[in-house]
Amino acid sequence: MPLVAAFALPHTPQLLVRPPTEDRELVLRVHAAFAEVKRRLTSARPDVIAVIAGDHIEGFFLNAVPALAVFVGTRAAGEFGRYRYGFDVHEPLARAIVEQGIEGGFDLTYSQDVPLDYAFYVPLHFAMPQPQVPIVPLYVNVYLPPQPAPRRCYAWGQALRRILDARVERVALIASGGLSHYPGTDRYSSPDYDFDRALLTSLVEGRGAETARLTGEELDKAGNVELRTWITLLGAVGAARAEVLCYEPSWHHGNAAVAWPL
Amino acid sequence: MESHYFFPPATAYPLNRFLFALKSNNAVRERYAAEPEPTMREHGLDEDARSALREGNRDRLVALGAHPYLVFMAQVRLSMARDPGNFEYF
Repeated sequence: MPLVAAFALPHTPQLLVRPPTEDRELVLRVHAAFAEVKRRLTSARPDVIAVIAGDHIEGFFLNAVPALAVFVGTRAAGEFGRYRYGFDVHEPLARAIVEQGIEGGFDLTYSQDVPLDYAFYVPLHFAMPQPQVPIVPLYVNVYLPPQPAPRRCYAWGQALRRILDARVERVALIASGGLSHYPGTDRYSSPDYDFDRALLTSLVEGRGAETARLTGEELDKAGNVELRTWITLLGAVGAARAEVLCYEPSWHHGNAAVAWPL
Repeated sequence: MESHYFFPPATAYPLNRFLFALKSNNAVRERYAAEPEPTMREHGLDEDARSALREGNRDRLVALGAHPYLVFMAQVRLSMARDPGNFEYF
């Protein structure tokens, strides 16, 4: 069954738990984009939502740093402040992704026991259809150098698409991340919004494949280390033209929600 | 230019391990809030790391090899625990 939906969404925790530093109206506009994604996801009737996200050193730490990983458990859980999240995991699909991914030349790590990162549950908090749909968490290392090269992420997305299209389940794909932000650094209050706008224009024109030619250095410079999750999704959606549901640059973060009509 | 997110030097492992615990482990965070000095010593932090943490000095922590993101999120989670009423939950 070909992919039934594809989205790229932000996950900054200030969207979930708003400190007084954040513009409430802006946050609500991003929530409106999440609501639109929820509406579209619901009408796409997915059997499973595969979520590609970067680990914020929440699940994995320096004891082992997987470049690309798949959660192959029955239930994924995480917590943030007063929130407690739990999602059923579609184990057969997760396992097939690992087995076929490795067979196809991607030496994936898998885990049956890793806490879910907020990069997964912030978008799902707002966009998960009711009743809930099982998920498959797919990890890309974005914060612990050396991270996988953009071209590798793109190739992994292409391979992932082939695996998903051969399944009987209706699969929706969400990339979680970005856009420009520099948490923990001197540039926190001056993201590279020009990079973001040029990127979004290229996606709307169906030129997503160009992201595979970016270098890791360019992503770091632009505050877009998390773009690796989008690049993985772009490998899966190919030349489909994106629709930008919102772009809301805050004082520290380029919040973008994008859909790919398939 | 040095990249914003750099390879974490192995010498900074105890510091990064502690920052990871502060942001991910509620018991460690509560203990640190109540008794910072013994908590830091129990986690094997040297005086440089302890004084940078005492000051909450991000630049010093990062210069010691702390991952900038870990410093950032440890501070966010400490602040959420300290002032829960300061946040709007959606």
